[in-house]
Parts: sequence; structure tokens; C-alpha cells
Amino acid sequence: MKLLTKSTFYFLLLSILVMFAGAVLLYLTIKKVIYRQIDESLITEKTIIEDQIRQTDTIPDFEGTFGHQIEVKLLNYHIDKVQAIKDTDIYDSKSDSFIPFRYIFSSGNYVGKKGFIITIFQIISEKNELLHDIEVYMFSLFFSLLLISILINYLIARRLWRPFYDSVKIAGRFDIQSDKPLDLPETDIKEFDQLNRVFDNMTSKMRNDYLNLKEFSENASHEIQTPLAVIRSKTDLLMQQKNLNKDSLSLIKSINESTTKLFKLNQGLLLISKIENQVFHEKKMVSLKQITIKGLENYKEILQLKRIKVEMDVSDEALVEMNEVLAEIMISNLLSNAVRFNIDGGFIICHIDKIFLIMKNAGLPLTINPDDLFKRFHKSSNNPQSVGLGLSIVKEITESYGMKIFYSCHNDIHEIKLQYHYKGNSPWAF
Amino acid sequence: MKLLIVEDDRSLSRSINDYLKMEGHICEVALTLNEAVQKADINKYDCVILDIGLPDGNGLDLIREMKSKKLTGGILILSAKSSLDDKLIGLKIGADDYLTKPFHFAELSARINSIHRRNNYLGMNEITFNEIRINTEDNQVYVHDKLIILTKKEYDLLLFFIANRNRIITKESIVEHLWGDNVILTDSFDFVYTHVKNLRKKIVASEGRNYIKCIYGFGYKFIDS
Repeated sequence: MKLLTKSTFYFLLLSILVMFAGAVLLYLTIKKVIYRQIDESLITEKTIIEDQIRQTDTIPDFEGTFGHQIEVKLLNYHIDKVQAIKDTDIYDSKSDSFIPFRYIFSSGNYVGKKGFIITIFQIISEKNELLHDIEVYMFSLFFSLLLISILINYLIARRLWRPFYDSVKIAGRFDIQSDKPLDLPETDIKEFDQLNRVFDNMTSKMRNDYLNLKEFSENASHEIQTPLAVIRSKTDLLMQQKNLNKDSLSLIKSINESTTKLFKLNQGLLLISKIENQVFHEKKMVSLKQITIKGLENYKEILQLKRIKVEMDVSDEALVEMNEVLAEIMISNLLSNAVRFNIDGGFIICHIDKIFLIMKNAGLPLTINPDDLFKRFHKSSNNPQSVGLGLSIVKEITESYGMKIFYSCHNDIHEIKLQYHYKGNSPWAF
Repeated sequence: MKLLIVEDDRSLSRSINDYLKMEGHICEVALTLNEAVQKADINKYDCVILDIGLPDGNGLDLIREMKSKKLTGGILILSAKSSLDDKLIGLKIGADDYLTKPFHFAELSARINSIHRRNNYLGMNEITFNEIRINTEDNQVYVHDKLIILTKKEYDLLLFFIANRNRIITKESIVEHLWGDNVILTDSFDFVYTHVKNLRKKIVASEGRNYIKCIYGFGYKFIDS
């Protein structure tokens, strides 16, 4: 739930509770005040009548003040003094309904041993109407107050939180490889400004670390080239010497092999860092068909040697806009992979349409975790000469163009599926 | 051939010097750009082997200098940076070829030979080695004046062998020469063997001698004997 919705929700909940309690309290108070007034007027009226009875010893001739109905009875005997104020409903034959009344019942004695009973009724339906009106006004007032305060609260909160949402939006687009710093906008809210500064510092540190690391690995790769060249040149010289015995030759051979491996490794890493640095930025429309045919040409001899059958099903329309060198490396590495891990008398099926490039090959079961297939230096143990960079280079290239690559294996048929276009009826929606 | 080696790494320049001398070339070494410019000004070299990253400047400047003074001689760039831009600029301003460090001496030798051939034997594109004659213009090979049909790879292999005759050539350097750097083949040695076997068979079939000697587990040697 959005913060704004949540805060509004809680505000609404609490406001309703408080306002409801307030309204009930106010209603009860007003009702109490009105009843007290009625009761006071009833008592006043009763006192006046009582006084009159005591002074004149007769039932006074009276008309009810305050719209009261009065009943007075005189008795010839003594009566206990009682006074009570109560509510009652009295049937009205005119309107055929019960009408609510408040009445005072009072009994007492006057000269001699004569008692009297006074009952005074006050109609309260008018008062109830007043109370009802007050209720309606109060409710609408509270309701509109509630609405207005929610609206104001919502607007203020939205305004206050805007810098936060802006920052989140900008931070969400942060790309460590981009050459621009994050640069969050300044805000006059101290907390958000603090947050933004923390974000800015954190990301610029991340970027610096990343750039340093990148520069380091690039420089390291470059610097390794020259000593490697020296080692290679010295072994080349060494092996040309005459009268080398078998042991010396075998030593030189090992040095030579390791140097070659180191060189391949370094070359691969250098290539990956170049792809990451977008050195290969020139793009053009390349035909995957032509590149695949050209690439297969390089493997012609080994395909014959291993008796591997190649099945091609490639569309002429398999065009993609990318760097030509990278496209060649990508296809070449995929082919190399399909050839290298093939079995004697196996097959390669290469299918390319407008959206997918699918490379299937026969092979042995995978000895590594399929999830690690595209990771650097993950290689199967039965191939000591591999440096384990081929598929990670493919992955790096596909990622730099936003393509997707998948691996699957059924019955020892390995399949690498590369989605290079998103158009058409793609099962993956982007 | 008279060669100038421009390379600031002393150890590497000495190795190149030793190897190329062994091949029968006359070599001079320059460790800085300045030294190289001076030497190129005074002497005439058949080929300059040029490192791009020099302590006192960019090796590409020597190419510009040589071209502006209309000095003849081939130029082979050596670079630790396999950057495509460097390569393209170098070739554009007049270098003949480009080799990325680290390289095999066999490869260096083959490249120097090919530059030399292109620059000096205009109209005379023929390499003769005893009974073998190679026409490098139409890529045809004759043994005892009889044409033999080689595949592209066998032809390249033969040229590579002849450029490095009497030297041990490792299988790695053959693979790199024939397939380039980008092709990663681990069990490629088997089919280097197949190519060598086929080449040998074709030469011997035309009554040529078997010059290719196998150095077990290591590579081959093309022996002129």
C-alpha cells in the first residue's frame, strides 16, 4: 500500500472514531441541557402552584405558563411528600399516536391534614425536533470537516513526499556503468535532503569503485601482454636450440602450453572488459546467416574429423543490428561450443528465424550446474585445455544488446536458445 | 633483410633480435621513438617492427614520419593493445600488417616474409624451395613443375613452413596462424595433424621429398636437407 494511501486511511479511521465519539458526547450534553431546562421549568411551575394552594387553600385558577398542562387534586387526608420527574407517552386521539411528555408528579400537604397532588406535563416532541435538527447540522458539519481535512492532509502529504518519489524514480534508473553520476535534486526538506546526499555519496562511491576495478582489470590485462610476449619469445628461442634432449623439450612444451592458456585467458578477459566498456559501438545490419556460414567454414575440418553432421535451417531474414565483430565472436563461440562438446558421429542443428537463434548439439550429460553454464571460469572437468570463458563472452555480448539467452538439455541434446529480437509473437513479453 | 626492431622492453627486443638474426636477418634495435626516428632517417630498412606504446611517444608517429619523408620499407605493428582502432589507424596511415602481443616467432617470421615479398618482388611473386615452387599471386604450388592442388589451409601451412624452415614450429602457432585468435579449439591438434599429413602426402605424391619432420608432442620442423 502506498504511504499516502496508508496515512490517509489511518487518518480517516481515527478521524471517524474521534468525530463519532465527539458527536455522541455533544448530543448527550445538549440533550441533558434541554431536559434540565424542562425539568427546571416544571419545578418552577409546581412551586408556584404549591404556593398558591398553601396561600388560598383552594385549587388556584391557573393557566399553564410555558405551555404546560396542569392537573391538581386536593385530598382530605394526609399524604406523604413525594416528588418525581419522569417521561411518558400519552395517546392522542386526534393524531392517533403516542406523544412523548415529560411530567412532574408532586404530592404534599397544606393547612390541616389535607393533601394535594400536582402533575404537570410538558410536551417534549418539539424539543426532540430541535435535538434532531441539531443532530443533522452537527453531522453534516463533522462530515464536511472530515472530508476537507482528509483532502488537505492528502494534498500536503503528496506535496511533502514528492521529492522522495522523485528521488526514488531517479535512483531506480541508476546504472553503475553509466558515465553520469546519480545527481538527486535538492529539496528543502531536511530528512529527504539527507537521504539524497547519502544516496549520492553511496552511488558515487560505488561508481568510483567500479571504475577503478574496471580500469585495474583492463590495465592488468594490458600489462600482462608484454611479459607474456617475453615468455613466449624466450621459449621460442629456447626450443630452437640444437641438441635439446627429450626432457628439456617436454619442459618447454609445458611452458608453452601454459603460456598459450594464459594468453587465451587474458585475451578473453580483455574482450569482456572491452564489451563492457562498449568499445564495439559501431553498429550495422548484419546477416546471421552469412556469419554462421562463414563461421562454420572454420570448423569444416574438425567437423569432418569428428564426423559431425550439420543441419542448417537459417532464414535469409535473420538480420540484427549489432557490431559485426561481436556478432562474429558470438556465433563463433556458440559454434565452437557445439563442436567442442559434441560426440564422435554427433550432430549440430542450427535454426535461425527472425526472432530466435537456436543451436542444438549432441553431447554428453552436463557435468556442471546448468545455472553456472554462462558464468566465467565454469568449465567441465573433462576439458583441461578450456579456459571457460567462451559462453560467458556470448552472455556478455547478448546482455550488452539486451538479448536473452537460455540453455536447456533433453536426452543429452544440448540446446542454446538466443532471442535476439522481441518483435512478433514472442512468448516472452517485454 | 635489414630490419629495425622498435620495442622498449629490453628483454623482448633482445629476443626478437636474437631470433631474427638466427633467421639470417640483419637487425638493429631502438628502445625509444626518438632513437627509432633517428635510425630510420639514416639507414634504409626492409622492414620496421614497431611497438606502439613507447616511453617517449606513440609508435604511430614513426609511421607518419617515415611516410612524410617517403622512406621505403615495410612496417609491421606490434601491440599489446588489440584495440581495433589502433589497428585500423595504423593500417590506414601506411603500416603493412599488425600483430598482437604475445605472438609466436614463427608467426612474426611469416608476416615479415610476406611483407617483404609484397614490397620487393612486384611481378615476381614466386617462392622457390628446392623442387617446390609457389606462385603467391595465383596461389598455386608446383612440385617438379607439376601443379599440385592444395586446399586453402594446406597452402597457408606450406607457406608458413617455408617461412620458418629449419625451426621448430609448435602446434599452437600453427593453429593460430591458420584459424586466427578468435577460434577456440581445444582438440585442434588432431586436425593440425590431418592437414600436415595431407600436405605431406600431396608433395610426396608428386615425387617431392618429405621435408616435414614431426617433433613428437611438440610440433613440426620443415627441414631443408
